[in-house]
Amino acid sequence: MSHREGQPNLSPRYPGYDVLAKRDSPSWNSQTRRVIDQRLAVGPDTHHFFSDEEWPTVRAVCDRVIPQPQDKHGRVPIAALLDEQLHHSGTEGYRDARLPPMREAWKQAVRALDAESLHFHGRRFHELEALQQDALLSRVQHGDVHDKAWETLPAKTFFEDRMLHDITRLYYGHPTAWNEIGFGGPAAPRGYVRMNFDRRDPWEASEARPGREEQARRENARIGSN
Amino acid sequence: MKQLQRTRAARQLNLSSAMLAFSVLADSAVEHYRGSFQNPAMYTPLGVAALTLGASLLGALDTRPRRHSTRDVVYAAAALTGVVGLGFHFFNIGKRPGGLSWLNLFYAAPIGAPMALVLAGLLGRSAESTRHTGFLRPRSASRRASGRVLAGVSAAGLAGTAAEAALMHFRGAFHNPAMIAPVTVPPVAATLLGAAAVTGHRRMSRWARLWLKLTALLGFAGVGFHVYGVSRNMGGWRNWRQNVLNGPPLPAPPSFTGLALSGLAALSMMDERGRR
Repeated sequence: MSHREGQPNLSPRYPGYDVLAKRDSPSWNSQTRRVIDQRLAVGPDTHHFFSDEEWPTVRAVCDRVIPQPQDKHGRVPIAALLDEQLHHSGTEGYRDARLPPMREAWKQAVRALDAESLHFHGRRFHELEALQQDALLSRVQHGDVHDKAWETLPAKTFFEDRMLHDITRLYYGHPTAWNEIGFGGPAAPRGYVRMNFDRRDPWEASEARPGREEQARRENARIGSN
Repeated sequence: MKQLQRTRAARQLNLSSAMLAFSVLADSAVEHYRGSFQNPAMYTPLGVAALTLGASLLGALDTRPRRHSTRDVVYAAAALTGVVGLGFHFFNIGKRPGGLSWLNLFYAAPIGAPMALVLAGLLGRSAESTRHTGFLRPRSASRRASGRVLAGVSAAGLAGTAAEAALMHFRGAFHNPAMIAPVTVPPVAATLLGAAAVTGHRRMSRWARLWLKLTALLGFAGVGFHVYGVSRNMGGWRNWRQNVLNGPPLPAPPSFTGLALSGLAALSMMDERGRR
């Protein structure tokens, strides 16, 4: 498996920063490598939990909650990561008791979203325009939904505690998102030493504040060898 | 005979200055690297401690009964740098949120560290004057009084270093019973040394000698314990980039050896009185 194959960093804030360069440094141990390798192996269209029928709706929801550039390389496969978790464990170990278990909650929500969409627009959710999708999601957020598919699934709670929670969590669990925000990623066994404000360990992302873009790029290029 | 003893005491003092200078050099190199040399002044102790180490090693080999003016200047510079460093370290603590709080005493620039450079300078200066005469003038009172003053300086240094170890080992929750050793043995040695200086009893100096030797040994054992401590941190020595900086400081314990050596030199200067 190729681990270093471009997670091009599109963020101008941490130029050249690639968290995967730390893969073979003391910052990662074998368990970390295993977990992240699995995460990176998830293709954007892999799905086992959701049916082919449900899949486009799931992808459309993820695309609206965290819109990503169309460029295929830089995208985090949020929907596929969600599917993978639902397929394998289907739990985080805790949940809001007002909602059904994770798997049922998502299945029910996908059904309900499509039903709501068909009712108002005569089309399924993924077939709507982006603005219409946003409007519909916004109504879910405010509990302003009418289809009876929502009866056993409190829409507002689902939106906040399941939909936003899962999608943002999965997005920011991916190395591409770490590169974007300059996050150091796994830190086991090696953690951090220089804990003060505005200090940086040589294995941390370097931020391109105005005037030090080139320095940041140089420092980020050296992260793997530190 | 007397001159021979005097030179021997002087060389021993040069050696103890060397130990302290080595400790400061290695410790400030590691810790100031950790601080990313944020302030260019942070390079100073590296240069000065290196010079002091060099001068002291040459002094320890030098059997001529004359003071060496270059060494004298280097030692003065070391003491001065230590005093200025102390100011910088206080400034560093003071500017952090919370000021002079336990947290900052634990984690900001250490107060005790620049003191080691002051001591290296003082001991080196006394080495040079001991070669020449006793280092207190007039010559008549010099030997015994010099020994006493030196004993006082060494005892105070040991007490200070033990206080630093106490602070850091308390921070480390004394999780290994061996961490108690450097906060018990050197204070006993310092007390005995002080008592020997004040009373002048030979019995007392014999006890002081024994405990100072134990303290000197502890300085070496401490490095071994700290090596082990680094290995016990997550990732062990493979993760040295973090653990050498975060773990127990490898260069700290030899300060005890350096000060114990100067204490021993002080005792032999004092004891000379009995043989007169």
